Amino acid sequence: MKNYDVIVIGGGPAGMAAALKSSENGCKTVIVERNPFLGGILKQCIHNGFGLHYFGEEFTGPEYAKKFVEMIEKTKNLTIMTNTFVTNIDGTNVDITSQNGVDRLCGKALVLAMGCRERTAGNILLNGTRPAGIYTAGEAQRMVNILGKMPGKEIVILGSGDIGLIMARRLTLQGAKVKAVMEINPTTSGLRRNIVQCLDDYNIPLMLQTSIFEVLGDGRVEGIKYGKVDDRYNRIPSTTKTLKCDTIILSVGLVPETDLVDLPLNRVTKSVMVNDYLETANDGVFACGNFLHVHDLVDNVSLEGAAAGINASEYAKGKLSKGKVYSLTPDGVISYVIPNTVHSGEGEIEIRFRIRARIEKSNYVIEDESGNQIMKKYVMAAMPGEMQTIKLKRDLIKSNLTLKVVKL
Amino acid sequence: MNRISKDAVIIGAGVVGVSIFNDLTRSGYDVAIIEKELDVSTGTTKANSGLIHAGFDCKPNTLKAKLNVEGNAMYPEICARLGVELKRLGAYVVGNDEEAVNNLMEKGKANGVKGMKKLSNSALHKLLPNLTPEMTTGLFAENAYIIDPYFYTICLAEEGVINGGEIYFDYHIKSIKQTANGYVISNGKEEIITPIIFNAAGAGYNDVAKLLKSELYNVVHRRGEYYVLDHSEKDVVKSTIFPLPTKAGKGVLVTPTVNGNILVGPTSYESDDTTVTTAEGLADIATKVKKMVDNVNLGKTIRVFAGVRSIVGEDFVIEPSQKCKGVINIAGICSPGLSSAPAISQMAIGLSGLKYDPTIRCNKIAPYTNLSKMSVAEKNALIRRDKDYGLIVCKCEGITLGEIKDAINRPIRPRTMDGIKRRVRAGMGRCQGGFCNDKVAMIISQENNIPLNSVVKEKSNGYYMLSRSGVNEKL
Ligand SMILES: Cc1cc2nc3c(=O)[nH]c(=O)nc-3n(C[C@H](O)[C@H](O)[C@H](O)COP(=O)(O)OP(=O)(O)OC[C@H]3O[C@@H](n4cnc5c(N)ncnc54)[C@H](O)[C@@H]3O)c2cc1C
Ligand SMILES: Cc1cc2nc3c(=O)[nH]c(=O)nc-3n(C[C@H](O)[C@H](O)[C@H](O)COP(=O)(O)OP(=O)(O)OC[C@H]3O[C@@H](n4cnc5c(N)ncnc54)[C@H](O)[C@@H]3O)c2cc1C
Repeated sequence: MKNYDVIVIGGGPAGMAAALKSSENGCKTVIVERNPFLGGILKQCIHNGFGLHYFGEEFTGPEYAKKFVEMIEKTKNLTIMTNTFVTNIDGTNVDITSQNGVDRLCGKALVLAMGCRERTAGNILLNGTRPAGIYTAGEAQRMVNILGKMPGKEIVILGSGDIGLIMARRLTLQGAKVKAVMEINPTTSGLRRNIVQCLDDYNIPLMLQTSIFEVLGDGRVEGIKYGKVDDRYNRIPSTTKTLKCDTIILSVGLVPETDLVDLPLNRVTKSVMVNDYLETANDGVFACGNFLHVHDLVDNVSLEGAAAGINASEYAKGKLSKGKVYSLTPDGVISYVIPNTVHSGEGEIEIRFRIRARIEKSNYVIEDESGNQIMKKYVMAAMPGEMQTIKLKRDLIKSNLTLKVVKL
Repeated sequence: MNRISKDAVIIGAGVVGVSIFNDLTRSGYDVAIIEKELDVSTGTTKANSGLIHAGFDCKPNTLKAKLNVEGNAMYPEICARLGVELKRLGAYVVGNDEEAVNNLMEKGKANGVKGMKKLSNSALHKLLPNLTPEMTTGLFAENAYIIDPYFYTICLAEEGVINGGEIYFDYHIKSIKQTANGYVISNGKEEIITPIIFNAAGAGYNDVAKLLKSELYNVVHRRGEYYVLDHSEKDVVKSTIFPLPTKAGKGVLVTPTVNGNILVGPTSYESDDTTVTTAEGLADIATKVKKMVDNVNLGKTIRVFAGVRSIVGEDFVIEPSQKCKGVINIAGICSPGLSSAPAISQMAIGLSGLKYDPTIRCNKIAPYTNLSKMSVAEKNALIRRDKDYGLIVCKCEGITLGEIKDAINRPIRPRTMDGIKRRVRAGMGRCQGGFCNDKVAMIISQENNIPLNSVVKEKSNGYYMLSRSGVNEKL
């Protein structure tokens, strides 16, 4: 058994930022990471587009990670445990398995920064045969960028989220033929810049409201039957076509790695709910990064991780004092909001949320219980793929709140 | 050409072929299995409900009824010997047709099934709180078990191997010639001579029969599709729950698996020999299960799959060939084939004229390393001995490098990724190998000393990754 002030599970950008802040704040901190290295998913994202907001400069994923790893290595008070799996969480303590054996770490506070896993063929009920040649995007990305191998030669990508788009470009550059990116929704969920830079620039067709009806092939994927779906995702059988390919890559969504937590989950984020200190319903347990909700920009992950780290270390010192608690509820086109509850008091809260549909020339508005606007922010245009952020001063909080979009 | 001679050859490494293999090797015979795929248990044996049925719904006085009840009684001892988990959870049959329940009770009695009782509406709902109100009558049979069918078959095959048996994988029969010394089976590279052949090729029965020029049967295939639910759902049912059977089969059931998942299915569609899943099939299951049990959350699906039943008329066919002396035809082994397999084996051996005497070779397989069943102290002792037991490879099922290496270094060395999955469950969990597939492929490559890009998922053309230049190396 070992004692720490703050335990951080996950050594991705969220966990690294949290651990840095916590140890800078004078707390004896440990990062537990199951991979042999720190950096999380960034290590396999060798494209650029990381850090523009945080560092004011564009990096690749590994470069961005390296910045943090270097800071961490210089930090006193901070233990790094790699190749170490957290297998159980008990309050603010964790059980770990590593090559040194099975052990328990006891903490005064705990930060959950375990990131996400990818949705699979089984999750989306992909039908037909089940041969080799079906990969999740992250699995294919690791294969190409870390192992230096290829998943196949003729590729269809299902799902137009950022990871799918980036893999379309990556595989094309590596000599594969990406025959199509198929998206079941009428709009893509990826960032605009990625549609242009990853598909348009390489003439890769994006097929909207289209899905794979059937996988063909016995030992290895030989092709697919695909076609159009209507607005309620029902297949339109008359549109069925066949396409030859040897590989199917699934980029059909991420799900927070909540296996270890025993807390009620939010229906939309599929993760735990937190207050404005990023603290979960369990005292002293904080959450951040893709574990809390799926982020599109790593910069926001680092900011959120840093906030969780500060709050966790204050809690460990017994200094986290909170005012009165109120709810913050998303309304209308807003699909979810973090935090789920807020406290009155001092300072400013970072509110992150997503919208369900594209909006233009509107105000984000926070209303109190009596319908009074306590703050608003103008938004020119926003897309579902882009996480939205607004700030709120705690001294304005005096009742339960609602977050809305008001079209101008 | 390489030529080997055997006392008997079994074609097909499903549960039926492997049961015969196991019994004959223990009886001291020099036997071999010929299997076209790369591992045992890649056919119907890997894709079924995993139930050892009590035997009440087979038509009385059929082979199915007799062999199911006999096989059922043999399972506890075999599993204890192999160290394979067999859980006696019992099975419920529920519905709203009192007459049909009585009928099943009668059949059970006729088939010699013990431990059955009829349940009143209130008793039923007390025992199964999540049953829909439409389910008003039913029965419980205590002698029904759940088992991991592929793991069982693998262990049975391993025991056969350590008792002197041989398995030829990736063996594609080109010809079978009848000679004065017996049958000469050839794949063009390796010839095997034997006086006795068991055709246990499952869905491939007729293909083999054509080569042998033995009896062909009218085999009908019926596909069964399933959902596998996440561990999070493991408590939705505590026993197997069937609807009252119909002509098409036992209907859509819900059952726990020995590994803490839930299976929902199967459908029963006539089809060719393919294991596709379909949107219609899955929708059909969803509708049917909702009518029976109301808390099954199909949103927690981690995998869908299908298996194919091979049906010949109403009963199993287990008989000596009239056309080819020394050939035993085993066809139409649909459900309850798994439950009956130990008894099918004994019957087939009897018909072949060989003698079943398991006292001749009694080597036992070592148990699989399974850290999830160990105490902290045991785990630490193991990790101190070998650090590989401290490195988790499959995050969802918590499987370590040491356990995977041990599973490879066994009497039958798996060389496919699905082979690892069936042995130690790496890749069977909720992320379905998204996290560990590449790691497992690397371990297979290292332990078997084969190039990484020649590692396959299941079939010999099912490569997992190519080198950067886009080539894969054949095994
Ligand atoms: C393909 C892809 C492309 C992206 N592109 C961009 C981009 O261009 N620009 C941009 O700004 N952002 C991009 N992002 C987003 C951003 O990189 C991620 O949102 C961010 O990396 C998430 O950080 P995290 O720390 O929350 O999670 P992760 O990076 O996933 O880290 C979580 C860590 O926790 C560890 N862990 C989990 N469970 C356990 C356990 N039980 N025990 C021990 N350790 C555990 C994991 O191994 C992992 O290292 C991209 C993301 C992906 C996947
Ligand atoms: C949906 C479904 C649910 C079921 N549920 C149950 C249940 O709960 N309980 C129960 O008791 N039974 C059940 N069954 C039945 C049971 O699964 C089968 O009876 C049993 O698995 C049959 O085993 P087998 O060895 O005959 O066939 P298989 O497992 O198919 O084995 C045949 C083997 O022969 C090989 N082969 C074929 N052709 C050749 C060739 N030319 N050369 C070399 N090798 C060849 C194949 O590759 C295969 O490995 C179910 C079946 C289905 C489809």
